[in-house]
Amino acid sequence: MKRLATVIGLSALLGFAFAAEKVQITFWHAFGGGRKAFIERAVEDFNFMHPGIEVKVEYKGSYRDTLNAAILAAKQGNAPHIVQIFEVGSQMAIDSGIFVPIEDYVPADLKFQLDDYIKPVANYYRIGGKFNSIPWNSSNPILYYNKDIFKKAGLDPENPPKTFGEVMKACEQIEATKAAPKCITWPLHSWFVEQWIAEQGALLANNENGRAARATNVYIDSEAMKRIVTWWKDLYDKGYYAYSGKPEDWDGANQLFVSQQAAMEITSTSDVTFMQTASYENGFELGTGFLPVPDGIERNGTVVGGASLWLTKGHPQKEQEAALTFLLWFTNTENMVRWHKGTGYFPVLNTSVKVLEWQNWFERNPAYRAAFDQLLQSKANRATQGALIGPFPEIRTIIENMIQEVFQGKDIDKALKDADAKADKALQQYNASVGK
Amino acid sequence: MDTHAAYKSRWLPWVLLAPTFVILLVFLYYPTFETFILSLYRVAFFGLSKQFVGFGNYKEIFTNPEYLQIFWNTAIFAFLVVLLSMSVGLGLSVLANQKIRGRGFYRLMLIWPYALSPAVAGVIFLFLFNEQSGIVNYLLGITLGITPNWLTDPVLAMALLIFVAVWKNVGYNVVFYIAGLQNLPGEVLEAALIDGATPWQRFWKITFPLLGPMTIFLLIMNTIYAFFDAFAFVDLLTKGGPSNATNLLIYNIYRDGFEYYKTGLAAAQSVILFVAVVILTIIQLRFGESRTHYGG
Repeated sequence: MKRLATVIGLSALLGFAFAAEKVQITFWHAFGGGRKAFIERAVEDFNFMHPGIEVKVEYKGSYRDTLNAAILAAKQGNAPHIVQIFEVGSQMAIDSGIFVPIEDYVPADLKFQLDDYIKPVANYYRIGGKFNSIPWNSSNPILYYNKDIFKKAGLDPENPPKTFGEVMKACEQIEATKAAPKCITWPLHSWFVEQWIAEQGALLANNENGRAARATNVYIDSEAMKRIVTWWKDLYDKGYYAYSGKPEDWDGANQLFVSQQAAMEITSTSDVTFMQTASYENGFELGTGFLPVPDGIERNGTVVGGASLWLTKGHPQKEQEAALTFLLWFTNTENMVRWHKGTGYFPVLNTSVKVLEWQNWFERNPAYRAAFDQLLQSKANRATQGALIGPFPEIRTIIENMIQEVFQGKDIDKALKDADAKADKALQQYNASVGK
Repeated sequence: MDTHAAYKSRWLPWVLLAPTFVILLVFLYYPTFETFILSLYRVAFFGLSKQFVGFGNYKEIFTNPEYLQIFWNTAIFAFLVVLLSMSVGLGLSVLANQKIRGRGFYRLMLIWPYALSPAVAGVIFLFLFNEQSGIVNYLLGITLGITPNWLTDPVLAMALLIFVAVWKNVGYNVVFYIAGLQNLPGEVLEAALIDGATPWQRFWKITFPLLGPMTIFLLIMNTIYAFFDAFAFVDLLTKGGPSNATNLLIYNIYRDGFEYYKTGLAAAQSVILFVAVVILTIIQLRFGESRTHYGG
């Protein structure tokens, strides 16, 4: 015991001795709660293993808050080194001009890590042929369902609905048997709409989803969109779909599902771990399935959602190198395995998938399996690559408002047309403001 | 003229006032000035790039039906919040000012909501009025068999927002009105009582006019409250939804400025809000001066 204390004391002393020469790196992210603690533990590990570098990690609020704070800090000349930015902020981050295109700075002997990303993830984050940021937390929407309610309603608990029509049928049966007060819920969020557009192989913006050249036209008034909205409205009118009444209310939807008021929920794969715990605590059996898609179309695949890590400009070379060292360590094979197990976010490296397979992880945890299969079965094309639109956050609000208008009885065709015009205008203004 | 006798030097008063001026200048006048300037630009990313557009932002705001709806929402919200929170506040104060048992307790209970922060109040009402799992719909469901869509119906959502804002601010009005009522000259009311005036007459002919200065003060404070303090309620309860039905100017400024990075447009809206509140305050003061009895 005494010896241990001496060792600790000595290493602490050594730590102090080197403290002065440590390179300080700041890292801003948008994860609260359990994920924040998870990140802090990983950072502690890194600092322990890299005596020359000290990473300071800070939770900055929501995705939007984090991006705001980073831009403001960069304007005042003291930007954090590493910033987590949500996927739809990618175009904005490039336009802001405060970040470096990361691929140009990755040392040659670590380039292999960039080639290790699973295809859907690489497709999303390779913009103009290269990685501008390091992909980190990636997710998809999947269907979660309550097997106990399914049994009560006489539905096959091992065979969740796969199409819009099957969801409707399941809902009719759940309603008829009074197995649950509500059939299905998901947050009223544009993200799901974007996913259903991609599943149909359709685009959300011109110039190949803004991937071939800067987008100048948003496609809201489309057949693909109409299919989604018509089905959604039908579910709502029949009282099958429930939501908390507030847009983008993830917790509200989870609450409805976990409290067993709704038989199904569509939400992010990043909630797998949460759902497993919650279903256990609330005493019901959880099932997961693919995101239901419109009938009669071939399943094209989903878009990777989540966020990536960006490196800001204008730091001394030593700091930039240290930040890169951290970034590549933080997203390496081992850490991605841990991250996946701890949250449900995808293991975004091929090697980390291999490790998980070797551990029989997916067999032992089938809930994680559906999420991952859905991602791997996504076809690689412009639709699943996801749209790059500068003012994406605003486009999302426009889509969400449109859906609420339709719920209130506005004609679907008119609602789509109006929203399309608004979105185009927002895009024009944005493009003009960045001088494009 | 002996009024300056306290200060021997002409400069001393300015030196003493300097700290206040510096703070006002740096934290109040300079930002206000900057906002005016910004409102003439199209700004990207908080000023990383700027283009002069003259009154383009204002033109955009006054011709876009969405902004006009937001103005309309704000006007309805502010009018009803001021009217209701003041009239309810006055009514409750008159009741709580009676010499009855437990009046201290009643007064305390009436003032309590004011002590909550808007964020806490917002969260409480969010739980209460949740459509599927809130206690309000649970109780309505088992008693009357109805479960209103509080947050998805545009009219109900606005009504709920107004209700929360009124609930939150009634306490403030009660504090001031009770203080006002207790300072009323007792002999006037007594004289009226002897002359045979009914309680109704006594209130409208004597009490209410005598409370005039207090009413004007509260009118201004409530107007400012309705315009500026509604942010937390909107953000927590509705996020401006359903489809902009509860989007108020103060919330939209935040949205345009910090979520959509349209700093110039947000600045222009701030200027409009600023001008509107200044004009309203001037009208209220003018109106008040001609109609108010300040006593003494």
